[in-house]
Amino acid sequence: MNDPVVEATDSAPGGDGPSPVSDAPLHPGALLQVRDVSKVYGSGHTAVTALDAATMSVEQGEFVALLGPSGSGKTTLISIIGGLLAATSGTVTVGDVDVTQLSKRDLTRFRAEQVGFVFQSANLVPFLTARENLLYVATLVKTPKKAAQQRADQLLEELGLADRAKNLPEQLSGGERQRVAIGRALMNDPDLVLVDEPTAALDTALGRQVVQLLRREIKDRGKTGIMVTHDLRMVEYTDRVFEILDGHLTHVEEPSALQH
Amino acid sequence: MSGPAALLSRGELTRSKGRFGAVVGALALIVFLVLVLGALADGLFYGATGAVRSTNATAYAFSDDAEGSLIRSRLDETDVAAFAGAPGVESAGPVGVLLTGGTGPEGDIDLAVFGLEVGGPGSPTTLTEGRLPAAGETGTAAVDTRLQDAGVTLGSKVFVGDVGVEVVGFVSDASYQLQPTMWTSVADWRAMRDAVRPELRGQPTAINAVALITTPDADLSAIAAALPGTTVLTAEAVGLAIPGVEQQSSTLNSIIYTTLAVAALVVALFFALLVLEKRELFAALKALGTSTAALGRTVLVQAVVASVLGVIIGAIVARLFGLIIPATVPTLFRTDTLIQIAVFTLVAGIVGAAFSLRRLARIDPATAIGGTL
Repeated sequence: MNDPVVEATDSAPGGDGPSPVSDAPLHPGALLQVRDVSKVYGSGHTAVTALDAATMSVEQGEFVALLGPSGSGKTTLISIIGGLLAATSGTVTVGDVDVTQLSKRDLTRFRAEQVGFVFQSANLVPFLTARENLLYVATLVKTPKKAAQQRADQLLEELGLADRAKNLPEQLSGGERQRVAIGRALMNDPDLVLVDEPTAALDTALGRQVVQLLRREIKDRGKTGIMVTHDLRMVEYTDRVFEILDGHLTHVEEPSALQH
Repeated sequence: MSGPAALLSRGELTRSKGRFGAVVGALALIVFLVLVLGALADGLFYGATGAVRSTNATAYAFSDDAEGSLIRSRLDETDVAAFAGAPGVESAGPVGVLLTGGTGPEGDIDLAVFGLEVGGPGSPTTLTEGRLPAAGETGTAAVDTRLQDAGVTLGSKVFVGDVGVEVVGFVSDASYQLQPTMWTSVADWRAMRDAVRPELRGQPTAINAVALITTPDADLSAIAAALPGTTVLTAEAVGLAIPGVEQQSSTLNSIIYTTLAVAALVVALFFALLVLEKRELFAALKALGTSTAALGRTVLVQAVVASVLGVIIGAIVARLFGLIIPATVPTLFRTDTLIQIAVFTLVAGIVGAAFSLRRLARIDPATAIGGTL
């Protein structure tokens, strides 16, 4: 399948020698590499291309945004990167793991060990306390109990939730819930943090706080973060922005380039 | 246990008490109903058959036309010798049965009078107090402990017609067709029979059946061949041949099993709803890296806990109910029936919950992303 993004970059003037990071969709050695990933639903006349030959790479320690309106394919792309959805073609590597080659069982383990998810509406376990929500993901990778408890307490402390540790999600505010979700995403020390519209259920001020916190946590720990959003106001906290429209992924150099 | 399933099931059981309280309550009611039905079934069965189960006889010989009924059967005392000499028979003794009314210290009582050579075949083995009449002794009897409720004590005189015997012992679990039994000599039994059934007075050697103690490998049809016109049945078969016993058992058992099927359905519906309601959460947990197996274990652990609690509460309530049931209703709460029903309820709970596993497996973790906003 043709890839307009790759072709456009390859034919760029002065392209001899290694391309600078910001110009190249693909960068050898980057933590996340997405190559020619397509997703087609259905077949024949009814086939719908949700994602068309997307190519991107994200360095370790980067926090990038995936910006696009609903139905643009951003959910499809992040689901494929996170090992939740199988690509029709193309490859996704995280570190030296080819996600597209993993079996269903290995994908489950990959998600538990290497990916931290922050969902749109926190999606905490309603009958577990904030602390237990963090401990829960530790049980998925068989972290020793003591170590898990120490890490959970430390994360809650950092996220300003130390005094809310024993509260159930229903006793927390929307912002607090989303902060617990961030703690849960970081609990297993994953390489990749995938964030799905974290501010959708929050007002602007609270949304900004949450994204700021997210950036700080990702940057401080040297994680790789990808945030899906349709909210232009949130991209200023990211290092780079990828725009997606009708299944086509394009790369925008600076978040400020979008502020018009 | 400290895996994801343990954390989830423990958290939900302890923090969604109301919800699980509902299913535990439903299961407890079902267990209660089943246990009371079971107690009634056992009470009827034991009350009807005690006199043939709680004796040392392993088989009984009847006249052919009796269809296994002690009361309908007609044999003669001289027939005992024919059976005593049959292959596989260790000993044989006469049995006379009389269903009648009598008079105890506090008034009228129902009685099933068994006349036999006490100590020989057909003697009760469940003596709880006093003694059995000695061999050859007349004018004494051992009676069913149920007669204690009618004021009968050791040394009491019990009359049938104008024939009186002194109570020298009590035996338990010895009712016959729900009537308390009296175990006495053939002579006393016959005197009582003649007193209340004058039409039978001309039959001084008639008995109803012959009680047999057989060797374990005895061939019952070969024993019956010793005397033409007779049938030999095991003691167990004699119990089932008592009119109504088998029908009562099968009717009550089918109600019990239907009710247990309802228990499975209740649990199945409960967990189907629970899984349906938590689709979004389960999708998120799968996205986080929880295996379907771990979620399945969560559901099964919860089903087992709910079933066990339901059984415990249902059993306690049923026992308390047993205390207030009037003594005239034949009920018997037996431990092995309780264990059987507990196991069935547990299995019904697990089977019911297992139906939701397929639904659980079909939840797609990808639906956790994208959401509804």
